[in-house]
Amino acid sequence: MRLVCFLTVVLLLGGCTQPEKSKPIPFKTTGDVKHTMQWVLDPAADHIWDSAGSVITAEGVEELAPTTDEGWLAVQHSAVVVAETGNLLLMPSRARDDQDWQEIALGLIDVGMRAAKAAEAKDADALFEVGGQLYRVCVSCHTQYMQGDEKRDPLTE
Amino acid sequence: MSLKQITLFASVALALCVPGQLSAHHAFGAEFDPNRPLILRGPVTKVEWVNPHAWIHLEITNDDGSKESWAVEGGTPNTLLRRGINKNSLVPGTLIIVDGYQSKDRSNRANGRDITFADGSKIFMGTSGTGAPEDGRDPKER
Repeated sequence: MRLVCFLTVVLLLGGCTQPEKSKPIPFKTTGDVKHTMQWVLDPAADHIWDSAGSVITAEGVEELAPTTDEGWLAVQHSAVVVAETGNLLLMPSRARDDQDWQEIALGLIDVGMRAAKAAEAKDADALFEVGGQLYRVCVSCHTQYMQGDEKRDPLTE
Repeated sequence: MSLKQITLFASVALALCVPGQLSAHHAFGAEFDPNRPLILRGPVTKVEWVNPHAWIHLEITNDDGSKESWAVEGGTPNTLLRRGINKNSLVPGTLIIVDGYQSKDRSNRANGRDITFADGSKIFMGTSGTGAPEDGRDPKER
């Protein structure tokens, strides 16, 4: 009986031992920064921008905010995509530096999560306000890391 | 997975994966021609008070009496608000003059720089830092 208890304890302890010193977890990116902008960030940001605001004509005012729970959930999803894109931009193969680039990417995460909260609360005014903040993050990055149009984009040269 | 979940998943996937969709956010040089300045005059027909750029639509009358609809891109709504323009100051019918640059594809789209109202007041309607030509209209260039 003692032997059984001893072996049980040994087995349990063995299962709880720390893994070997952690190695860097490998990852495999699927594209460069421009690819991330085109296929991940832009569609998600556009969805946020298209989901708040007004269209004014002689016939009246059309509010663009979602009118259903499913619509708001879809915006929340896009907002989280925006936030997580900040992490994608911080990956070693994409990050340009650990100074302003890092700060802007972290800013993108923050503004994405603010958009997610606004969508979760179904707050159209807050989502509209955050949409403006999101654009400022975009401009601050492009002003520093892009020059002119795509042909002069240093990120792809 | 319920039908509702499948529908939601499909709609989200569709919203995120539409190929070839023109991004709402773009550099000036990607869409507009700095060598095609223009002046548009006419009443406002529609205002899209949206991020990242507000769009003002107006109807112009050509010399031969024909009419054309134009869409003019402005700065962000927040930028316009700081400069004194809000969605109520651009109600349909308001007569405006827009100074800007035509799109590269020669469609009836332009990037607006200054907007002038009937009382003579003029406001910079663009956004700084988008790569637009330094033409002296952006107060931040001065």
